[in-house]
Amino acid sequence: MAANTGQGRSFTTFLVGLVVACAGIAYLSTGLGKLLFGIGLLIFVVSLFGFLTLKPLEGKPAAGPTPAMMKAVGAFLAALGWVITLFGMHVVEGTSGRLVLALVGIGVSLFGMIYVLPTAFNKNAIWKA
Amino acid sequence: MNLIRRFCLLLSVLGLGLMISAVAYGQAAAPAAPAAAAAPPPSAAELKDAAAKAPSTADLAKGDPGGSLTGTINDVPVSDSKTGLTLGDTANQVGQNKIAINFTWTLIAGFLVMFMQAGFAMVEAGLCRVKNANHTYMMNFFVYGCGLLAYWLIGFAIQMGGAAGNGNLGGLQALNTEHPLSLFGKTWGIFGQNGMFLSGHTYDVGVMVIFLFEMVFMDTALTIVTGACAERWKFLAFAVSSVLMGAFTYPLFGNWAWGAGWLSQLGTNLGLGKGYCDFAGSGVVHAVGGLTALAVALIVGPRIGKFNRDGSSNAIIGHDISAVLIGCFILAFGWFGFNPGSTLGASANGNLRIGSIAVNTMLAGCTGTFGALLYMWGLKGKPDTSMSANGLLAGLVAITAPSGFVSAIGSAIIGLVAGVLVCLSCAFVENKLKVDDPVGAISVHGTNGLWGVLAVGLFADGTSNYGGGWNGVTGSVTGLFYGDASQLVAQLVGISTLLGFVFTFSFVLNWVLEIFIGQRVSAETEMAGLDIPEMGQLGYPEFVLRPEAETMIDSHAMAVA
Repeated sequence: MAANTGQGRSFTTFLVGLVVACAGIAYLSTGLGKLLFGIGLLIFVVSLFGFLTLKPLEGKPAAGPTPAMMKAVGAFLAALGWVITLFGMHVVEGTSGRLVLALVGIGVSLFGMIYVLPTAFNKNAIWKA
Repeated sequence: MNLIRRFCLLLSVLGLGLMISAVAYGQAAAPAAPAAAAAPPPSAAELKDAAAKAPSTADLAKGDPGGSLTGTINDVPVSDSKTGLTLGDTANQVGQNKIAINFTWTLIAGFLVMFMQAGFAMVEAGLCRVKNANHTYMMNFFVYGCGLLAYWLIGFAIQMGGAAGNGNLGGLQALNTEHPLSLFGKTWGIFGQNGMFLSGHTYDVGVMVIFLFEMVFMDTALTIVTGACAERWKFLAFAVSSVLMGAFTYPLFGNWAWGAGWLSQLGTNLGLGKGYCDFAGSGVVHAVGGLTALAVALIVGPRIGKFNRDGSSNAIIGHDISAVLIGCFILAFGWFGFNPGSTLGASANGNLRIGSIAVNTMLAGCTGTFGALLYMWGLKGKPDTSMSANGLLAGLVAITAPSGFVSAIGSAIIGLVAGVLVCLSCAFVENKLKVDDPVGAISVHGTNGLWGVLAVGLFADGTSNYGGGWNGVTGSVTGLFYGDASQLVAQLVGISTLLGFVFTFSFVLNWVLEIFIGQRVSAETEMAGLDIPEMGQLGYPEFVLRPEAETMIDSHAMAVA
């Protein structure tokens, strides 16, 4: 089962939820705004459950299970590199020191992005089967 | 006698030359004339007199084929008909003209960038197989609507809600709410708020112009992802992912770089050059798109048949190389709106540099093509068409950030490096990371987007002058090679943010969507081709599809390795 009416309805619900929630945010200082935001959020969550219901009916993709913890570690390292760079700008005063710390941060991020994450996703890759 | 004639002729020429030189020297050496007495300001009577001398209605009724009678002092609006034309009226018209020129320029540039959607559609679909053509075209078609809706709802407000102060477009004073964060004794802009639904006081002529311009840039970033995930991305997942990217991912980084956010404040707050500088969006648009493409491509996984059991890759060739090349020309044409249009004006504040920016753009695309083509021809033996096309695009992507700050020579070098870099990056992504990218979007936009951001910190030559400063810091943007290492540091902070925040945010967001929706189509759908199961219609219904194995090249020589 690929594209179907269920998907269409869930996507429509998702969009309605987003529009109503955004209308609420636009007027969040008013009571009506808060109400709209709450309703929009509710509709948005309903759409997510709609998606969740449809997912098992759509057939098995050509992908194997991948280690969630390793993926989380990879994402964490990518973000950690950024944090290192940011704090480095405040901790170090000189241009050279900041340059080095920026490069260190970029290196840590890249390690997570192009080593840890691909390793995680390729662990049970479909082409290895 | 002949000799005498020649001698006389020579003397005459020398004499003439000496006379000319004497006149020129005399002009150069002549002492400055005493300053003329300042002309008295034009009186109301003078303005009235000039109006009286202008062509009358009767004159104009006779026709004006040469254009010398049309557009005179009588066309300047008068605020008080009893007083008549005043100096204030004239000055107001000058101001209106400046803004009108800038509006027109920015809008037309925005229209060009919008047309790039067609280019992206053709490039991506051309590099995919026939059985997925409809789906690929449709993703590029629908991403326009998804992005525009999300941006109108909330994305524009997040990105530009606090961006007031642009003198080119009348000040944009309605966009005056930026939410800050105080950290380490400094105030940093995080996100804007004004502009949701373009309602209230943001229902403003200047705001409309900047909305259109920024929206088409945002959509370019969104469409990049569709290329990397083509041939197996579920249409529903693509649509939801694109809406959320247009609402949150892109606008956040866009605010930080262009919307008075913290990246642009690195200069004023920490003394890092002129802050993070990204003239037209190598980082904001292309790297954001390319890194999001990497995140989603990791989650979606490679196409069936892309990799063998031993890890070697198979080249899955596209179905229409002519569409790819024509699409590239459409993109190159649209890039004349992308880069030169980023001055947001053609009048005042150094905006006459638009010609230089346009030429820089052309040159980088040219040398990018050469870089990729010569690399492939020299190492693989053929001037590979698809890689040459990617070389053009890589050059254009790489020059996008530095285009307003560098010289022609700098542009050529940046493009050449980009052309070689895209080939190396494609090989790396495919053979080392084992990430399947049907169109090379990760390498063209991600890798070269980052290269473009870095290139600003290296090649910015300090000759540009957009109103005396940039990001609130006086002076011209200057890179390492011209004496300012701190600008390089600011660019590296931007790169770190792209890698550490944008990639991670996109990865987590799409990981959540994988849990709720599932990003990839079923194996049966993928083998059949996405056109019928996902779209209900073939892209080319009269084609007779041959079995898969006959249309794939199983040749390592053709792989980018």
